[in-house]
Amino acid sequence: MKSFEYLRPGNLAEALDLLERFGGGAKPLLGGTDLTVRIQKGQLDPDAVVDLKRVGEIGASIDAEGDTVTVGARVALSDLVRSDLIQTHYPALVEAASIVGSIQIRNRATLVGNICNASPAADTVPPLIAYDASLTLVGLGGGAAATRGTVLRRDIPLEDFFLGPRETVCASSELVVAVHLPLPQQPFGSAFGRLTRRRGVDLAVINMACAIDSSGITTFVFGAAGPTAVVARDESGELARPDLPRSRRDELLQSLVAKTNPISDVRSGEEYRRAMLLTIGGRMLLQAQQRRIARGRGGR
Amino acid sequence: MSDRTIRISVTVNQQRREVEVEPCETLLEMLRGRLDLTGTKKCCGEGECGACTVIMDGRAVNSCIVLAAEADGSEVLTIEGLAAEGRPNSLQQAFLDSGAVQCGFCTPGMIMAAHYLLLNNPHPTEEEIREGLSGNLCRCTGYGKIVEAVQAAAESAAEPASKNRR
Amino acid sequence: MKQGIVGSSINRVGGLARVLGTQMYVADVKLPNMLHAKLVHLDCAHARVRSIDCREALKVEGVRAVLSAADLPRPIPRFGPTYQDRPILAEETTLFHGEPVAIVAAESEHAAEVAASRVKVDYQELPAICMVTQALDPSAELVQDPAIRGQGPFKNTNILDEWSFGWGDVENCRADTVIENTYTFPIVTQFAIEPFTFLAEPTADGITVYSAIQIPYGLQRILAAVLNLPLSRVRIIAPDPGGAFGGKQHPKLEPLLAYFALRLGRPLRLELTLAESFQQARRAAAEVRVRSGFNSDGTLVFQDIESNYLIGAYADIAARVVSKASYVAAGPYRVPNVRILARALLSHTPPSTAFRGFGAPQENWAVESQLDAAAKKLRLDRVDIRRKNLPGPGEVFMPHDPPADGDWAECLEKAAEAVGWGQPLPEGRGRGIAMGLKAGPTTAASYTIVRLHLDGSATLYSGTSDMGQGARTVFSQIVAEELGVALEQIAVVMGDTSVVPFDLQTSASRSTVVMGNAIIKACGDIKRQMAELAAECYGVAVDRIRVAPGMVHLPEGDHSFVEVLQDRFGRVKGEVIGVGSARNEYVKEHPLGGPPAFYEVVAIAAEVEVDRETGETEILKLIVAGDVGRAINPQAVSMQDEGAAVQGLGHSLMEQYILDAAGRIRNLGALDYRIPTTKDVPRELRSIHIENADGPGPYGAKGVAEGGILATAPAIGGAVEEAIGVRIRDLPLTPERIWTALNRPPLPD
Repeated sequence: MKSFEYLRPGNLAEALDLLERFGGGAKPLLGGTDLTVRIQKGQLDPDAVVDLKRVGEIGASIDAEGDTVTVGARVALSDLVRSDLIQTHYPALVEAASIVGSIQIRNRATLVGNICNASPAADTVPPLIAYDASLTLVGLGGGAAATRGTVLRRDIPLEDFFLGPRETVCASSELVVAVHLPLPQQPFGSAFGRLTRRRGVDLAVINMACAIDSSGITTFVFGAAGPTAVVARDESGELARPDLPRSRRDELLQSLVAKTNPISDVRSGEEYRRAMLLTIGGRMLLQAQQRRIARGRGGR
Repeated sequence: MSDRTIRISVTVNQQRREVEVEPCETLLEMLRGRLDLTGTKKCCGEGECGACTVIMDGRAVNSCIVLAAEADGSEVLTIEGLAAEGRPNSLQQAFLDSGAVQCGFCTPGMIMAAHYLLLNNPHPTEEEIREGLSGNLCRCTGYGKIVEAVQAAAESAAEPASKNRR
Repeated sequence: MKQGIVGSSINRVGGLARVLGTQMYVADVKLPNMLHAKLVHLDCAHARVRSIDCREALKVEGVRAVLSAADLPRPIPRFGPTYQDRPILAEETTLFHGEPVAIVAAESEHAAEVAASRVKVDYQELPAICMVTQALDPSAELVQDPAIRGQGPFKNTNILDEWSFGWGDVENCRADTVIENTYTFPIVTQFAIEPFTFLAEPTADGITVYSAIQIPYGLQRILAAVLNLPLSRVRIIAPDPGGAFGGKQHPKLEPLLAYFALRLGRPLRLELTLAESFQQARRAAAEVRVRSGFNSDGTLVFQDIESNYLIGAYADIAARVVSKASYVAAGPYRVPNVRILARALLSHTPPSTAFRGFGAPQENWAVESQLDAAAKKLRLDRVDIRRKNLPGPGEVFMPHDPPADGDWAECLEKAAEAVGWGQPLPEGRGRGIAMGLKAGPTTAASYTIVRLHLDGSATLYSGTSDMGQGARTVFSQIVAEELGVALEQIAVVMGDTSVVPFDLQTSASRSTVVMGNAIIKACGDIKRQMAELAAECYGVAVDRIRVAPGMVHLPEGDHSFVEVLQDRFGRVKGEVIGVGSARNEYVKEHPLGGPPAFYEVVAIAAEVEVDRETGETEILKLIVAGDVGRAINPQAVSMQDEGAAVQGLGHSLMEQYILDAAGRIRNLGALDYRIPTTKDVPRELRSIHIENADGPGPYGAKGVAEGGILATAPAIGGAVEEAIGVRIRDLPLTPERIWTALNRPPLPD
């Protein structure tokens, strides 16, 4: 591993100041399960690593306030999975977060880290988008004297956050500090599914989330099927209906999957990916339908 | 020592240590290289195999992708910290009795992962054991006897007067 | 057995240190004044190196030296266990992805790594030969310079060597049904959890090299030749490997490291990354074309087998792999007519080496799949067709070789029964069964020393490598059985050529048989000496003394070994040293250099469930029924069978090197080279031991440990075929491959 400086700010202003001073040469560190690996492999060569784990203003808990659940950036995936709040309202996110790596990885990796790493195959991203997640970014104000040096916040829908593989709208001098999830209006049904090369810990060949909201709109978010997650919606309400004839269902699914752009790579060929998007899509739709019906009856 | 080292204070196997580490040094390198705790092993170096598993602040982690500097102020438990005075604990003994040790290279990481599993789930099902150890690769055993060992350890801990059987 | 030691599943000797974390592997060895090395290699398979600029690298703080071909004498030293073809550093061209062009030595691993990244290599990438068709093409570029190929008909080709075996008359025999297919087996790697690590320490008059090598005396011989030192001045210390599976049998980077260490005058340590380890050891890929002839009752008429193995850029032990495996390729069956043609093909891929099964998994994959194809065509049950063709114990099945040395039908029956053969299966599930055959060791030379100490404890010295198979345990059991020494009183010393006597190698599942027999003789030597000591001491004629384990029986009474030793040696003290050896000599006339000491035979059965829509396969049951002769430690045998079966599951379902067109390996490392995890293994994994005490080893034992991997692929392949109705002839059977076979079937021939 190349040399870099290790810095551990004690507050947010200090952290942001460091990021700005290094002008893109500093990388934020939380769980390190992506960052440290990429540095060791020579894919990244930062001048400094800024450890955010002692920055108190960055949330380390999951809280509900009004009709929003907020996950602080310091929350590790294993804590997310155990959270009653998340299990109750966002089962597809629990399903996704539970299979990111191994328990050793999930004990360190954070939800925000998984998002910011911006891998097209990230498992938590499809369900988060399906649940209408948004992010809070912070950065130091520049420009006019009144805002220079102050911590400015901006919120952005997760759907708009990704620009390409490992590229997001987060500037090198900014940090994502929280993920916000609106409480879904019931009845709401969601599911997460993916395909891997082995049953054990693996990266996804394809993954996806399917959500059907209270008005019957079906949203699919496909991962590992394009440079960023692909969102495809059926606004007609047809896919929400369990009694929809199979051929019509497949036709609609096909039109949604057609928005993806899967490639061939070392993990899978393109044709197989396309076929699996449909196959797994059908299964996830069924699961989302069933869960929505259960919620409608007051179940979990 | 270059002028870029950091002094950290870390409690390893219940012993407080003051260590000078390089910024890019991993916890694994610190344990093996500076503290001579060579029980924790290096294999893939990218958090994919679990051979380097230690317990840090109560959580099982891959020490090869934790920077040593991140361990400042932390408590770390390694394989050497499990046994009291060279006597294997019931989990270690179960590994021996069940035939779960062949070449032994994955064993320290496997035992730490199993230790963590049992701490949080004293009576795991077979499914839960497989899930909990799914981050630890073994090439020798086929895992069957490792799972049996963890089951045996869980059962022996449940017995009223549990003792180390040799 | 009187003591009940043999046949007991005693705990693994050496297990305690492993669970405590105190076991010393080669990577745990630290020497004072040690330097750290790092290799420089190119990200391509075949390249012409124009220049190497080390100036920036040498400026890195802590760097002591950089060595490249320019610093080596000409001709560049070459080595290899059979062909001395591998240069210690690539000279003007690199021949495989990962071949080192330079090596850096520095005060720290980190400095070496930084410096290695700053060595500037100017090179031109060249086309690579990495497929069988390319290697066979007579107009293709030659992988190896003919100047180093010696003499021989293949000197100007990419064929390292070619073998023809067989009997009968395949051309002119008549068969009711003929089936012909081609099967492929991918490049896979051993993936021992311990990466390769080496340490070379110059000494006052020679060198000590630490390596987790399975064959310490082989490494000693090769280093002595490369370094021009006498054997007595080359010491190999071989800590127990953290997994080897054959990949650590033969030298890889020790010659380079030793050479560099001697130049530097300081100990030099090299630890490869996992990705680099994948570039040093792997199994030969193979394409096996089989034409099989059957009578309509399912009896075999002929097998016509052509095997092409892609062995890599240097020979390593590939010639032996290909010849030994193909020699018995027709399988454990009665086949009146056999024609075998096998080739070892050079390619721009990492040199293949020994890997559990030693070429047999590749042959068995093809030949057993053929039996399934015949059963389907002839509407016979797949167990029946095998049963029909299996020889009985003592029956000759290969005209110039030992007869069948076990009840192989019993393996088949027990495996079939355990998997529930014939019982109804739900939709989407299937069962498969296959036999596996491997020839045991042909030549052998194992020497051992046992010392019986004054207090009745014993120390055993053996050059065998305990890489997880439990050699220390089995040997301790034998000593305990023969001499009546308690297990806790036995010490086993291995892995140091200056201490333990010569052993030819740890390979071919031989050690229990060959070293075991040597140990029995050494114990016999001790017992003989105990009789003499008792005769001297108690004034009794030797022929009236009977020696039993731990006890000497005289007409007037019994004395324990300890009593005899104390009475005889008195205050001047002493010990009894027993020496034993076991040798199988080279037989020039035999195509393999000698008949195999035993056959390793197994029946493997599998039950799987396949999701037709995704191609995902779950193994529900995997049964290994091995003809083991005698399980000296039943748990150890099961441990080996289970591990081998899961390793076989790996190459059956998920393992393969993915190469690009230029021969670069795209999936190095744990992330994209997938091996089975706890969630991938069968719900039911069973090892059945067929014990008829009919082996040549101690107490009737035969070799085990490779059986479980010999026929896993055809058993799983057969099960998948029953589940989905389609036979796939290429491994691994990934979900994508299964899905493609179902949805995009190949055009008919």
